Amino acid sequence: MSFLHDYVYYIGAFGLVAVGLLILLVKRNLIKLIIGLSILDTGVNMLLISVGYITGGTAPIFSRPGLSEGGMVDPVPQALVLTAIVIGVAILALALGLAVRFYKNCGTLDLRTAKELKW
Amino acid sequence: MVSPVVLLAVPLGLALCVPLVGMASRKAAGFVPVAASLFNLVVSVGLLPDALEEPIVANLGGFAPPFAITLFAGPVGVLLSALVALAGLAVSLYALSYISEGPTIRYHTLYTLLLVGATGVVLTGDVFNLFVFFEILCISSYALVAYVGDRAGTEASIKYLIQGALGSALLLIGIGLLYGLFGTLNMADIAARMGSVDPGPVFVAMVLIITGLGVEAAIFPLNAWLPDAHSSAPSSISAMLSGIAIEVGLYAVVRMVFTVFGASSMLMFLVFMGLLTLLVGELCAFAQSNIKRMLAYSSIGQMGLIVFALALATVHSVTGGLFQLVSHTLSKALLFLAVGYMVYRSGSMEISSLEGMGRRMPLTSFAFTVGAFSLVGLPPFIGFPSKFLIVRSALAEQGVLLQVLVGLLLAATVVEGAYFLRVIQTVYFKKGRQQEARREAPAVALFSMFVFVVLIVVIGVYPNLISNALESGASELLERADYVRSVLG
Repeated sequence: MSFLHDYVYYIGAFGLVAVGLLILLVKRNLIKLIIGLSILDTGVNMLLISVGYITGGTAPIFSRPGLSEGGMVDPVPQALVLTAIVIGVAILALALGLAVRFYKNCGTLDLRTAKELKW
Repeated sequence: MVSPVVLLAVPLGLALCVPLVGMASRKAAGFVPVAASLFNLVVSVGLLPDALEEPIVANLGGFAPPFAITLFAGPVGVLLSALVALAGLAVSLYALSYISEGPTIRYHTLYTLLLVGATGVVLTGDVFNLFVFFEILCISSYALVAYVGDRAGTEASIKYLIQGALGSALLLIGIGLLYGLFGTLNMADIAARMGSVDPGPVFVAMVLIITGLGVEAAIFPLNAWLPDAHSSAPSSISAMLSGIAIEVGLYAVVRMVFTVFGASSMLMFLVFMGLLTLLVGELCAFAQSNIKRMLAYSSIGQMGLIVFALALATVHSVTGGLFQLVSHTLSKALLFLAVGYMVYRSGSMEISSLEGMGRRMPLTSFAFTVGAFSLVGLPPFIGFPSKFLIVRSALAEQGVLLQVLVGLLLAATVVEGAYFLRVIQTVYFKKGRQQEARREAPAVALFSMFVFVVLIVVIGVYPNLISNALESGASELLERADYVRSVLG
């Protein structure tokens, strides 16, 4: 149980990454693929946060009274995740825009019809 | 001496000014990327002598090295940023006439952002910063591939986006693991502490990072998106994707393998992957009947050749690899630019529709021929010294295995020669069904092709012009300890 307790955030993060990957591999509907990408992104962001997390830790604001050295989480991964979220949103918006364009061109969101270009 | 920061700040600022300029005059918006890349070219060339003496390290925000975001303008970084700016300048001139329909203002904004992303990747010394610039480069290229908005472009862009986003996610996981292991994001700091941690997790992080970056660098088998994206994009964007984007991805892979991880055990694997990429690319290119797809597959092949040369990891072979990188940028960008107007005039991308082009567009056809000969490696063009260096350095190594590999490499070059000569034969020696009047590409497009032709011939005749700089670039990539020392002091 202590393994589960210690690594619960990592398990959750990699679980989300696995779900995202599975969706990307199995699904053929463009919107579902985009949802898969989004879940994958969330998993990666959670992984970054859990890298810097300390159980029971709080924000490293030095002016706050009674803050011990071991009671703070690492703020760098959180700054990274903010950036990564912004990038994720940009990709999501672009992907949805392309999905709209794809639907206008092909009348469907099924990627199995997208066979105009092949090796 | 100016700080390398301006190489990123000025084009980024200009990119965001494009819509404002576009409000005043639609036509003027196209000159903003020209100005941005001209600025970068001048500054990069100005920084080059200093960077060759001693790498220029700029720490952003005034913090000390491991905490600040570091920009590392060594020989490789400055050379590549000059190359990006040079290709960016010529292609943005070409786009002044080529991109005349559709949302042109957005095109110029995204194009300038693409330049910023590429310059950022080659200059940064921080792994997360690398990811951010990489995403700027990738997101703008996803959008630009779909610029025309037709069915093929949208489809190609979706494929590119999904594979690219997956690659970026893997890259980010790898960066997260690195941060967890080392507690730092500075490349030099990670490199310095590489020996002090358990190699198992480091290997996992390395595999994730190389796979993630390998998608953009088009290393087989991660390159399924490339032929679609490069052939469906507008030709000016194909030139940038083939000439700049994949090279920058490859640079990132090499920087990670050589400098950050110092992974000599990976090199033989990369040699094989490079050769496999080369063979797959050239053989697929041979089978194409669509001219732009043929060029796209040829890019895959060339990337394989560069990976092969870099992964041999001797000073001469890395010099050859960097030389080939420069030569591929110039030649492939020229080819895509020339093909852009040939396809535009003939109305079809089939090779057979280019019959009689030698009469209809003699100057453009000449530019195409120079690019093709240079890529195949004929003297007196730039492709000759670069391929010669690679083969010579590979043969200098002992071992039968490597000689067999060089034999395969030369066989791939023969295939490359075959399909390029076939196109040239179609262009010059087959008569078109209907005689059409001579109609050249516009003057500004011809001028940008002319820039590439001159560079290809001049560097081909005098390879010493750049070989010294490339050699110090090679030793920068190979000497990890020097890199660490110049950043951390």
